[in-house]
Amino acid sequence: MTDYLALVRDIVTQAAARGVEAEAIIMDSQETQIEYGTGAVEKLSQARSKGLGVRVIDGGRVGYAYTSDFTPANVAKTWQAAVELAAVASPDDYRRLPTPQPIPDDDLEIYDPDFEAVSTEAKIDLLRRIEAAVLAQDKRIEMARQVVYGDEITHVYLANSNGFAGQYDRTSTFSYVFAFAREGEHAVEGIGIGASNFFAELDPDSIAQEAAESALMALGGETVPTQTCPVVFAPFVTAMLLGTMAQAMTAEAMQKGRSFLIGKLGQDIASDKVSLMDNGRMKRGLASAPFDGEGVPTSATRLISEGVFENVLYDSYSAAKDHQISTGNAQRPSHRNVPRLGLSNFYLQPGVKTPEEIIGEVENGIYVTQIMQTGGIDPLTGECSMGAYGRWIENGELTKPVSGVTLATTLPDLLKNISEVGNNLRTIPIMGMILAPTIRVDNVMLGGKED
Amino acid sequence: MIPLELVTKTLAAALRSGGDLAEVYVEDRTSLNLTMEDSKIETALRGEDRGAGIRVFFGDLVTYAFTDDLSEASLIAAAHAAAAAAQGSSYVQVIDLTQRQSPLEFPIVKSFDSMTIADKTALLCRADEIARAYDPRVRQVLGGYQEVNRKVWIFNSEGLHVEDDRNIVELRASVVAQKDDVLQRSTIAFGGQKGLEILDEHEWDTEVRDTATTAVKMLDAKPCPAGEMTVVMPNGWGGVLFHEACGHQLEADFITKGASAYAGRIGEQVASPLISAVDDGTIPGRRGSLRFDDDGTPSQRTQLIEKGILKEYMWDLTEARRAGRATSTGNGRRESFRHMPMPRMTNTYIDAGESDPDEIIAATKSGIYIKMMAGGQAELAKGDFVFSATEAYLIENGELTTPLRGATVMGNGPKVLTEIDMVGNDLALDPGIGTCGKGQAARVSVGQPTIRIPRVMVGGTA
Repeated sequence: MTDYLALVRDIVTQAAARGVEAEAIIMDSQETQIEYGTGAVEKLSQARSKGLGVRVIDGGRVGYAYTSDFTPANVAKTWQAAVELAAVASPDDYRRLPTPQPIPDDDLEIYDPDFEAVSTEAKIDLLRRIEAAVLAQDKRIEMARQVVYGDEITHVYLANSNGFAGQYDRTSTFSYVFAFAREGEHAVEGIGIGASNFFAELDPDSIAQEAAESALMALGGETVPTQTCPVVFAPFVTAMLLGTMAQAMTAEAMQKGRSFLIGKLGQDIASDKVSLMDNGRMKRGLASAPFDGEGVPTSATRLISEGVFENVLYDSYSAAKDHQISTGNAQRPSHRNVPRLGLSNFYLQPGVKTPEEIIGEVENGIYVTQIMQTGGIDPLTGECSMGAYGRWIENGELTKPVSGVTLATTLPDLLKNISEVGNNLRTIPIMGMILAPTIRVDNVMLGGKED
Repeated sequence: MIPLELVTKTLAAALRSGGDLAEVYVEDRTSLNLTMEDSKIETALRGEDRGAGIRVFFGDLVTYAFTDDLSEASLIAAAHAAAAAAQGSSYVQVIDLTQRQSPLEFPIVKSFDSMTIADKTALLCRADEIARAYDPRVRQVLGGYQEVNRKVWIFNSEGLHVEDDRNIVELRASVVAQKDDVLQRSTIAFGGQKGLEILDEHEWDTEVRDTATTAVKMLDAKPCPAGEMTVVMPNGWGGVLFHEACGHQLEADFITKGASAYAGRIGEQVASPLISAVDDGTIPGRRGSLRFDDDGTPSQRTQLIEKGILKEYMWDLTEARRAGRATSTGNGRRESFRHMPMPRMTNTYIDAGESDPDEIIAATKSGIYIKMMAGGQAELAKGDFVFSATEAYLIENGELTTPLRGATVMGNGPKVLTEIDMVGNDLALDPGIGTCGKGQAARVSVGQPTIRIPRVMVGGTA
């Protein structure tokens, strides 16, 4: 097998000889995806693939090129293309490759050494168990419409012309299911999802249960009158809200005027129940890595501390601009991407109350298990509106199903109005890696029928 | 890309353990992306992606393996990996591969090379200058240019041999305006399956200026009221409504599983008689157009709904085989050689009606008019849809008045289709920058004339 660490070093050395800064990444991965439906495997896909991405900075101007063809001639063509492309970009003195820093060598537990020994049959068996568990939840569950398993073993090799060279291996697995429920003429789906670095940690029962609950909560239902009321969001929905909110908490969003939180650093922006963290070194965190997409050690950052907006996330460019140090948040989903500032393992610090206690304290409100939104939650304008499903809460009890209503607030109001944070942190692998509990938000405008 | 002899060998290797059909899909993709923000060209990026996917059908089971290495050893290894899950008892022979040509012409008048990269970056920089010069409240301008060339070769053991050459261009500028704590954004974007002649079809400078005007105007927008009301949707982009609310429910994978509200309802009245809807992958220049889909089926025009009667679903090869149909409708699409095809829309629209669009607004006593929106989403089992307006106006006594922000429209697709009470004569397709996400990204177009929904839920904070 080719020594890819030597190859990326070699590429940056050659490119740097042209008088530019250079960085090369190789990602070599092996992946499986299986789709199971109604008692049989429907689709099975396996592959090994690799890719090279080269970033060149020439006097603050960035060029990037990628390829999956590793023949020597093509590799040379790729870094040369990056050198040429840099000429058309605009110079920016803050664009520099980071200087190498020591990478802590603690074990982040992101690689499952037993992974390659997991047979395809064991993976299919997991799907079979999820399907069976979904169907066993309730007779109104008609099918597990789609049961999907996916895994990836990735080897990452990164080098830059400032002398950085590093390598790590990561395994990741995920599985999700859509539970399809029907009652009379009403039908609805609920999703259940699990993800881990370790195959053995995928729990078919909890994935199935989450999907079934989500579907059954939203089955049938009607709209309710338009009103302002408290809303209790289930963890999956909380994760979607946090993921969008987080985009407004990067240094880049601040510097470029793309955040509803511009000018709010250091201020009290949320209820004192709210503490938000990003931790790129979380043990067994799916977004954990020893170094980030440009070779900077990852770290833990407290964004909001008991309501006070304390820090933003940095990559080396935005850090240079603010005379700060990078928090190691340059993300690199594939060799096709320029490193981009974003979340790692992002979470809301859990509280002490159980979801049942939180619901039990609501006199009149809605428990939301599913939302629909695209662009309705906007980290730039701070607008926040969505379609919602769930159950009506009356005197602390879940009552009739609710559907076809809209919820609207603004992100600044939402942060202020979070009055409870649950103790039930769930890992939700969407929009990065988000860990979210149940939360209660007061004073949300619910759009429904006229009284 | 790879010699026919090697294709035949690979197909035979894929069928070595049995199977009903084997396929080789080869792709060679190159792209150029330019992005601008903060008045700077931030990145110039060139990429290439080359590889092949081998697919084998065994009854209802489909196996797949892909590789980014087109050497013989690697292709045969992938074919063996796809064959490894074989449980089939049927054995087929590979039939001679004879190339089939498409009658469709998607002309490229001005090739991507007819302009230098520096000139392309200049377009983005000009957008920045124009928008910032318009008003000091313009705080940020984001620009993007993308060109993609995607060549595909599809072969199968039944003798299929087709090629497609897809050229996609896209230009966009997003203007952010700020007044005190209020930020608003407006975007101009266009694209299509064409060359740089698209620049001659647009007035870039004027359109950027208009976008800056809108962003500044929206700073004074009022919060949208919440509740049920009449909604008038614009032509063009408004077609997102049909795409999300009904289009996905007409995709065959949701039909064969019985998960769609439209399953088993061909020939039934499913929409207002004012509604006819079409999926057409053959329209030259359009973002969703294909000569052949990613199963190798010729692209076609499919009448989905005619005067309210359900006529047809959108099929790919896998679902057509599952349902025992002789042919697919040419809707099998995949994001890349790393993916298996699935049923997807191409260019999908509600056909023209008879009302004058101005009269539709004039006939509306109160309600809201959506001018621009940000995408949409659907809940398939319920058939519900939601989309958010980025530019909307109150309609009062038949006239557009106050600009509104934060408006979300939510409804039930099948129900809304039966309720639409006015359909305009101004059919238009969108500007050509839509991407649909259904596990895989697919470039699509949507379209419609101006339409009116008499009662639908609108979310807002007022």
